[in-house]
Amino acid sequence: MNLLNIALILPIITALICFAFRNAAKWIALIVSAIVLIFSVFIFLSGHMISPWLMLYSAPFNSGIFMAAAFFTFIVVLFSQKSAEGMERIGEYYGYLLITIGAAAGVLFATDFMTLLFFWGMLGIPLYLLVGIKGNGGAAAKKTLIMVGGSDALMMIGIALIWVINGSLMIGAARLPLNNSFTIIAYLSLLAGAFAKAGVMPLHSWIPDASEVAPSEVMAFLPASLDKLLGIYLLARISIDVFPVMPNSMISILLMAIGSITILAAVMGALVQHDFKKLLSFHAISQVGYMVLGIGTGLPIGIAGGLFHMFNNAVYKSCLFLCQGSVAQATGETKIEKLGGLAAAMPVTFYVFLIAAFSISGIPPFNGFVSKWMIFQSLIELSKTSPLWIIWLAAAMFGSAFTLASFVKLIHSVFLGSPTVATNKAREVNWQMWLPTVLLALLCVVFGVFAFSLPLKYLVFPATGWILMPGWWEPGLATGLLLLGLAAGALIYLAGRTGGVSVKPPYIGGELIEESATRVTGAEFYNTIREMPVIKHIYSAAEARFFDIYEILSGFSRGMSDILSWFHNGLLHTYLAWMLLGGIVIIWVLIR
Amino acid sequence: MTDSLKLIFGYLIFPGLIFSAMVGMIACWIDRKVTARLQYRKGPPWYQPLADILKLLGKEMIVPEGVSNAVFLAAPLFGLSAAALVALILWQGNLDRSAGFIGDLIAALYLLTIPSLAMIIGGSSSRNPLSALGASREMKLILAYELPFTIAVFTIVVKAGSIMIGGVASHTAVLSVSGLIAFLVALLAAQAKMGFVPFDIAEAEQEIMAGPLLEYSGPGLALFKLTKDILFFVLPLFLITLFLGGIEVTTVAGIILAVLKYALILVLMVLIKNTNPRLKIDQAVRFFWGPVTLLAIAGFIFAVIGW
Repeated sequence: MNLLNIALILPIITALICFAFRNAAKWIALIVSAIVLIFSVFIFLSGHMISPWLMLYSAPFNSGIFMAAAFFTFIVVLFSQKSAEGMERIGEYYGYLLITIGAAAGVLFATDFMTLLFFWGMLGIPLYLLVGIKGNGGAAAKKTLIMVGGSDALMMIGIALIWVINGSLMIGAARLPLNNSFTIIAYLSLLAGAFAKAGVMPLHSWIPDASEVAPSEVMAFLPASLDKLLGIYLLARISIDVFPVMPNSMISILLMAIGSITILAAVMGALVQHDFKKLLSFHAISQVGYMVLGIGTGLPIGIAGGLFHMFNNAVYKSCLFLCQGSVAQATGETKIEKLGGLAAAMPVTFYVFLIAAFSISGIPPFNGFVSKWMIFQSLIELSKTSPLWIIWLAAAMFGSAFTLASFVKLIHSVFLGSPTVATNKAREVNWQMWLPTVLLALLCVVFGVFAFSLPLKYLVFPATGWILMPGWWEPGLATGLLLLGLAAGALIYLAGRTGGVSVKPPYIGGELIEESATRVTGAEFYNTIREMPVIKHIYSAAEARFFDIYEILSGFSRGMSDILSWFHNGLLHTYLAWMLLGGIVIIWVLIR
Repeated sequence: MTDSLKLIFGYLIFPGLIFSAMVGMIACWIDRKVTARLQYRKGPPWYQPLADILKLLGKEMIVPEGVSNAVFLAAPLFGLSAAALVALILWQGNLDRSAGFIGDLIAALYLLTIPSLAMIIGGSSSRNPLSALGASREMKLILAYELPFTIAVFTIVVKAGSIMIGGVASHTAVLSVSGLIAFLVALLAAQAKMGFVPFDIAEAEQEIMAGPLLEYSGPGLALFKLTKDILFFVLPLFLITLFLGGIEVTTVAGIILAVLKYALILVLMVLIKNTNPRLKIDQAVRFFWGPVTLLAIAGFIFAVIGW
């Protein structure tokens, strides 16, 4: 049997076994996800592979993404071995994880839009069920289902239009230029599907809501990694192979504007959050803006940067969510006011979090810097043809500073700072929980330092073509020099050893003050910015959910039903009056 | 082999760590001397900045109770190594205008945030509420100046038509309207990056007792001071490269011109420092996001229309 079919069917079948035998579910999931990971490596190494059943096809690009997806599934399952121990619906939990990776294989290896849409729709169900896995999902899970499912319906329209235009549903059967309203509507409809899945504004609002109820493992698995991989994969496929986006076209400008707004607005949202998990969920939205921005340039280097950022984001974002899961496990808290001083108690989690946080903030030499740098390059390339580039560039760079700021807030208030009641008895989590995060942090470093020789060469350039030029940023060299600088600084420490070291309590004006009175939690770090003249109003509008398309649309439908219910007031003579009126209108139309 | 030895020499000795620290110390002395004279004091002797660091190296190092030692001690190292790397990148781009790599300017911009970040992490790890306050102010200050600074830098990219340090260094941007505006904006941002008055909000000695640096003593404090000295070389050099046509050190005239350019920036910085009171953090944020950003945008528009 073909490996592609196995990668698709095996997880879905074994998911059923997980439902039936809940006690064995965690072992089944571990073994199956490991097998799928190994198979995905084989598929990737074999280059091209075809399965006649369902017309599945693998090329280096989509099998690379599938390998990443299988890797994140394995990591999350490994992490869940310990972290999800007490979960009530454990059998279902692992079953849904497995169904997701099986359906992801269907989406990634599909050669025609019908297969893609089928598995895309299938992904929505485990997503809905996983968000509400703790039994408290309710509104958030429903919102997720409606937003992701609603965008699936839009995709269906787009695919129908492609059928009408092209007569074929093969992906990339013909290039459709975006120069008439027909193709543009088809493109935008497909875009809605990609955007809702990846969480691009304005279809983002299910992610923060889901973060309030879903477990951290689910956040790390879906909104942080798999949904990004799939959503951006679809965006890239339709923007490269089906409707080529030309630099400086209207669509390109639209994509870049959406990307920039997503970067800035979501990171501003993150800056003022008080909940660890919810803050991270806003970054899951903000980062996807960079990918849309990069792909939206329509230039090879921008597309490569956007795709590389997709891989990088999946690595550090899932790492951050898993670290958050570890902290929640160790302390039982997600509110950052109640956390603090965990660096000494949970050193592994702290260093891992630090690396991931610097990666997402684009600090060289970690991976986030390289992909952001490529996106910046593509924007500068645009400067030759259009003056708008500075807006996108300023948004991207400024967004990056805000990202750093909100992670400084997290690092301070969760790991540094002074301990609290919740954290002073915390201990490092079990190795099964920290090992996955350590692996992810190592990837952050490797993807940054060996960016051009490993991930870009094997995962990204197969899709975009080779665009490596001599005289680029050499991450390996810069890292070497930075390490040399660290060594030189360490020598200075050694030279200054003569004075000795002593440990004293912190100096606070020479008075004995109770620690709780002087704690700076980090929750108030950016109140200054929140109080800025114009920004103040934006924040209060956002808190009233003024920018949430789900609220706007549900408000609209409530308004419509209010109007309809005003007509239906249950009084017989009103109905008779309406009937009479209607009758007069009909007669008037007929005899006119 | 010789290439990598050259690189190591360049990074550690000239023009990297040691050379830039030396120049920075001289600049620091000039700054202190001028400030002292303005306040009718005598001021320190020329070797005082070096003496400070040597003295600190011999002092006892006090680590606050209960901190994560590795973070507290390693934070200053990261700032030092990043600052020295920027010195190397800038110097090389200036001397060999065709060397450097595409987008080295962006790499330099990003590396320049690491010293501030090191101070934030160090201050936040020291478990002192005043340090935490200082750290949060430093971060807000970064947010404040980053926007106009980015726009100013890319104004010059438009003017010079190059994103490489060698390319922008060959172009004396300050002679045009847009270049002059961008120069003023960048000078203010550099003042904030250095933590000089009126933007010394994060350290504010009289108020929060040096903020992030409060718990540092002995060699740790020496490392932070050394980083600051290097920045005192790097940031003026960055401004010279972007706006004043870079430096040339192969001829005597070139060296004299380079020193004059450096002295000009130094004078401007010391002048601003000595004629202004410290701002509050919300005032600083409003200042940078309001008038300074508008100025930067105006400069950019001028650059696009070719002024």
